[in-house]
Amino acid sequence: MSQGRTLTFNIFRYDPQVPDDKPKMVKYHLEEAPGMTVFIALNMLREQQDPSLQFDFVCRAGICGSCAMVINGYPTLACRTLTSKYPKGEITLMPLPGFELIGDLSVNTGKFMRELAERLKLWLHPKSDEVDIHRIEAPMAPEEAARLYELERCVECGVCVSACATKQMRDTFVGAVGMMKIARFELDSRDARSVEDFYHVIGNQDGVFGCMTLLGCQDNCPKDLPHMQQIAYLRRKMATALV
Amino acid sequence: MSLAKKNNNVSGWLDMSQSVSGVILALFLWTHLVLVSSILLGADAMTFVARTMELSFLSADGHGYPWVVSGIAIIVALLALIHVLVAVHKMPLNLQQQRALRQQMSVIHHDDTKLWVWQAMTGVGIFLLLPVHLWLIGSAPETIGPVGSADRIWNQGVWMVYLPLLLCVELHAAIGIYRVAIKWGARRAIDARARIKKIKTIVSVVFVLIGLASLLAFLPYAS
Repeated sequence: MSQGRTLTFNIFRYDPQVPDDKPKMVKYHLEEAPGMTVFIALNMLREQQDPSLQFDFVCRAGICGSCAMVINGYPTLACRTLTSKYPKGEITLMPLPGFELIGDLSVNTGKFMRELAERLKLWLHPKSDEVDIHRIEAPMAPEEAARLYELERCVECGVCVSACATKQMRDTFVGAVGMMKIARFELDSRDARSVEDFYHVIGNQDGVFGCMTLLGCQDNCPKDLPHMQQIAYLRRKMATALV
Repeated sequence: MSLAKKNNNVSGWLDMSQSVSGVILALFLWTHLVLVSSILLGADAMTFVARTMELSFLSADGHGYPWVVSGIAIIVALLALIHVLVAVHKMPLNLQQQRALRQQMSVIHHDDTKLWVWQAMTGVGIFLLLPVHLWLIGSAPETIGPVGSADRIWNQGVWMVYLPLLLCVELHAAIGIYRVAIKWGARRAIDARARIKKIKTIVSVVFVLIGLASLLAFLPYAS
């Protein structure tokens, strides 16, 4: 990688809490270090140049999904984006569109995800209401567990929501994250809900039948989740329930 | 059946009818263009195709039934109408949706979203131009042939409709089939999508070239 070059960051700045503040792009310069990620660069900028810069992070390892932002036009995780990826050394950072802006690059994905989970009931609905903590849980086939785990990898970063033009145009659309989570419970043999129950939730224009297959979710998901295949699977399943 | 279930069923049928009507229209379009391109093989070839489409082999005098072509035009018009009425549900119709789309596209670069915008814009183009084409053909089916069509296209200036219609329809159909393929039958392998996308581009280019060549091939018959 090119070592010691000076990076130029164009960062969206706006604090809705500050009266009369206006959205603007602010330029910062920073010397690049080996193995530097956008997340490391942001921390250095905050420590050395501007302590008021707002952005989110927790894990620094692509697990928590907090540091998602739009980097040079592509929504992704700052902690998994090396600055060496940009040969010109110019990096533009914008907050994820489609979420409530907390300030600068920080958006409230948590509020969105919670509302979505409550709306779609994204938790396991056990087949039996009787809870017996002394009883051994029924075993699950390793293949099924692997299938569920694949979909459980979603870190709720919000990238798929931002990358989806359908979601941006239609606020009530559940987006890829909603459908991915529904698919996860639909595959779970422990869940009591039937195809009809899931159909009731996403078999409409806010769900699979409203998805226009623009594939912003598939192309930008930082965890490489199989959105395209899952949504097609759900669509076929829901369509089969129709006829 | 509950109201919610009923509404859901309607959504499902609408989405499926958009895909089905689109696939039928695309298949018709490509067949139609191949038939029209018979002009590239000469006047006799095109006359044979035009008369055969009028079912001349079923009539004693060999002139066939031009109203068959009018019937086909009406069926295509109905299919296109269904397709439009369903597809319009997905379009950004109000200012708020258009602003949201513009805002998102100004921040995020995504090729398939741009492709969809092209699909939507060409769809509007087809919506405006197709009725003209269907009316011209459906109302005078007996004029279809090397001389009649050449006269319509070049002497009456209908190439001004056909040229943009050709470009719109070939882009729209190929993008649409690509989208239907990944929408309903996405394969596990991600490279299947790249392959389908490549085929889509080739199909668009090939059919636009066939269409352009056919339009030009009518020129000598327009005297």
